[in-house]
Amino acid sequence: MTQRATTPMILALLITTLGFATMIFVQEAASPPLIYGAYYAGTLFTLYLGIRLWLPHSDVLLLPIVTLLTGLGLVMIFRLTYNIEGVESLATTQAIWILVGSGAMFLVVLLFRNYSRLFNYKYLLVIAAFALILMPFTPLGYEVNGAQLWVDLGPVNFQPSEFARIALTIFFAGYLAEKRDVMAATSRSFMGIQFPPIKYFGPVALVWAGSLGLLIFEKDLGSSLLFFAVPLLMLYVATGRIAYVILGGLLFAFGSLLTFLLFDHVQVRVEAWLDPWEDPDGTGFQILQSIFNIADGGLTGTGLGAGFSQTIPEVQTDFIFSTIASELGLVGATTVILAFLIFTYRGTKIALLAGDDASKLLAFGLTAMFAMQTLVIIGGVTKAIPLTGITLPFVSYGGSSVVGNFILTGLLLVISERSGRREAEELIPAEDHP
Amino acid sequence: MNVHLRRTFYLFAAGFVALVGMLVYWQVYARESLANNPQNGLQTRRAIEAPRGLILAGDGKTVLARSEGRQTEEGTVYERIYPEGEVFSNVVGYWSVRYGASGIEIAQNSNLSGVTSDPATLDDLINQVRGGRQPGNNVELTLDPELQRIAYEELGQTVTGKGSAMAIDPRTGEILALVTHPSYEPNDIDDNFPDLIEDQDFPLLNRATQSLYPPGSTFKVITSSAALKAGVEPSDEFFDPGFLDTPGYRVFNYQGKDYGKLTFAKALAFSVNVIFAKIAIQEVGPELLYETAQDFGYGDPYDDFILPVTGSDLGYPPDQWVEGNTAQIAFGQDRVSSNVFEMGLVTATVANDGVMMEPRLVREVRSPDGIIIDRPAQSIRRRALDAGTANTLNEMMQGVITTGGLTQAEIPGVEVAGKTGTAETALEPHSWFISFAPADDPQIAVAVMVENGGEISAEGDAATPSIPIAQDLMEEYLKRGDG
Repeated sequence: MTQRATTPMILALLITTLGFATMIFVQEAASPPLIYGAYYAGTLFTLYLGIRLWLPHSDVLLLPIVTLLTGLGLVMIFRLTYNIEGVESLATTQAIWILVGSGAMFLVVLLFRNYSRLFNYKYLLVIAAFALILMPFTPLGYEVNGAQLWVDLGPVNFQPSEFARIALTIFFAGYLAEKRDVMAATSRSFMGIQFPPIKYFGPVALVWAGSLGLLIFEKDLGSSLLFFAVPLLMLYVATGRIAYVILGGLLFAFGSLLTFLLFDHVQVRVEAWLDPWEDPDGTGFQILQSIFNIADGGLTGTGLGAGFSQTIPEVQTDFIFSTIASELGLVGATTVILAFLIFTYRGTKIALLAGDDASKLLAFGLTAMFAMQTLVIIGGVTKAIPLTGITLPFVSYGGSSVVGNFILTGLLLVISERSGRREAEELIPAEDHP
Repeated sequence: MNVHLRRTFYLFAAGFVALVGMLVYWQVYARESLANNPQNGLQTRRAIEAPRGLILAGDGKTVLARSEGRQTEEGTVYERIYPEGEVFSNVVGYWSVRYGASGIEIAQNSNLSGVTSDPATLDDLINQVRGGRQPGNNVELTLDPELQRIAYEELGQTVTGKGSAMAIDPRTGEILALVTHPSYEPNDIDDNFPDLIEDQDFPLLNRATQSLYPPGSTFKVITSSAALKAGVEPSDEFFDPGFLDTPGYRVFNYQGKDYGKLTFAKALAFSVNVIFAKIAIQEVGPELLYETAQDFGYGDPYDDFILPVTGSDLGYPPDQWVEGNTAQIAFGQDRVSSNVFEMGLVTATVANDGVMMEPRLVREVRSPDGIIIDRPAQSIRRRALDAGTANTLNEMMQGVITTGGLTQAEIPGVEVAGKTGTAETALEPHSWFISFAPADDPQIAVAVMVENGGEISAEGDAATPSIPIAQDLMEEYLKRGDG
């Protein structure tokens, strides 16, 4: 029962091409956007064909959505930076990262078709994850906008936490799948909440708290939020016990209060969220510019290239969604949110259909990571929640983010391939011998 | 495990829906208030990055305001140019990034700026999707450029150089001229604005609509309407001993004349205060006079008019009037206050058989490629008089010119109807003239006022500087044929 999604794929590419064509009209830019467009379309279509060939039973909608989102991001990055001195080559860099990401995804698909092997190395992955998280503290690390989360590796700079969280998700999935039965069992209770034996819970708590603590120390609030929420949700799904969520909620409240009291930069963020008007030219500037631009878009948007979202600092990374809302309007922004929702839905479906616990938990963890990241950043730029610096998956400018999310998608694809093949094998004999 | 998987998915889905809700809040509900927030610089950026639409005079050719592009490092920046300068600035207004905007520039901003409006034509939509800087729509006014220029020039040549004028087509309500003098040069507004606010001649003030003055004897048109409604006939005779005593106040005629026995029609023609005071007290009464003035628009703030208007007023409600008030209100003194906008509408209403048309300044709005986006229809604002009363009053006002011997107001071959006013002030009196022509088929109604321009001389009240201005406006308009 091989499925194909060539039409969505071509549609996604056409939308991107339309975007680039628009840029030519509006900006009177000559060939460069077209070259990007053709190059991008070639890369993604080759990747699509490769995946269809190599993983014929895998989920068909993930890649078209990835294509749409990266394409939209590329158009927006080009639109925001092509005429700004010093960053005019950002779109080219992003295009290269998309190529690298596509290569990484292909490697994942090639090497980890039998991804279950990964669970055997789960403790090794924890070590690798911690090594990655610690890298910014080494002499290689450096600070951007007050957050110590970048690493300079000669030709490339990257954000190790983008990769560490995938490694940790694999660990949690492997560990929780093994121990979920014993962890769901109650051994003692405290204040009405029942706790699992410390022996099994210990490693999870240790890894969880350790990674969280380090990230808070690096002032990477967005990643901290993800590292906090995703394991908690995985724990809930694995054990089915709401007590973990309640406990997590309490911890979250306590932790938030603590970080708020301890760190100036957290206070600034929260105050800018609660009352940006107090300091509209200072701490409140970024979020106010964001909502001014979003509001400026209205129902149908100002039109591609006609908005003023270049007034928002960091617009091409964290605030790229504000540009989308400003220039494509409520209609366009809702469509993009819908694309994220469909990705989340397909991810959940992959988890539902997966044959074993570890696969289910891994697919779910990766999907939850993707969904949470989207919710946190769009919520941040629309002032629904305090702003935490984090990228919008696939859309924002940023090499580590793009490559990380391509790897994430690659893992979801191999998981879906296994269940898809199993389903196909069950069906075909039934059809042959009625 | 699948149950919990589904639950978390619903949680995520709810989160995504909430995000869309947040977008709806910003992009639909809070959009307007954020756009007008003083911290929001986007509108100003847009204003200088996109060409605004043209503002045209009523001939469809004379450009009153246009945008001109200038190349800068950040791309093309548009500046506003006003080719007709100060003659039209009280209506057209100014557009300043620093000092905001006024007049048609702000009243029609959503049309002129184009970008804030939703696409009205397919080209708009294509342009918007393409993201091009969408030029604004063009706004054509009803103003007759020649009449506007004549009125501005002649008001400038009066003794004080301060005054205002309005000309209107009584049949349609289209305003043909709306002039104030002195005015300001809108082209250099960014440089001149601080001086203009300090200027003691108040050039930024639109005297035609925003100032209030005693209307003097022009108000007798309203008192006459009330008298006709009360049953007074033009041929009814009254006696003028030269003064009228009311408790605490003695009414005299202008320049202390006494006219003896004369008809109501002649009392209007010669503007006899004593007889008007007598009629107001004995025949009309405060209630009817007040009501008639309201029918003509006194007390109406004209909030719906495109430019800011200060509503005309009688000063206090009729139940507080004593005889002395009624007597003075009858000839437009006491606390009666008005301007040429209101008095122009009064004379236009008499001309149009007692029906006041909605005063209009915008004839139509067109997209840059000529598609009509808006064309306000003419409509009736209110009915002040029945046609019979209006016609009687029309004849009486013709008598003001013929019987009263106002040769300055005459136009060869055309019957003119009118009424003068010389409103007493602490300084020199204001000179008023309201009129319309041709009297049998009115095509233009005019109200002119020259601040402190009335001359007190022995020759009589005909020597008022507002009359020749009104006459020139009517003659210029009528010699061109119909409209």
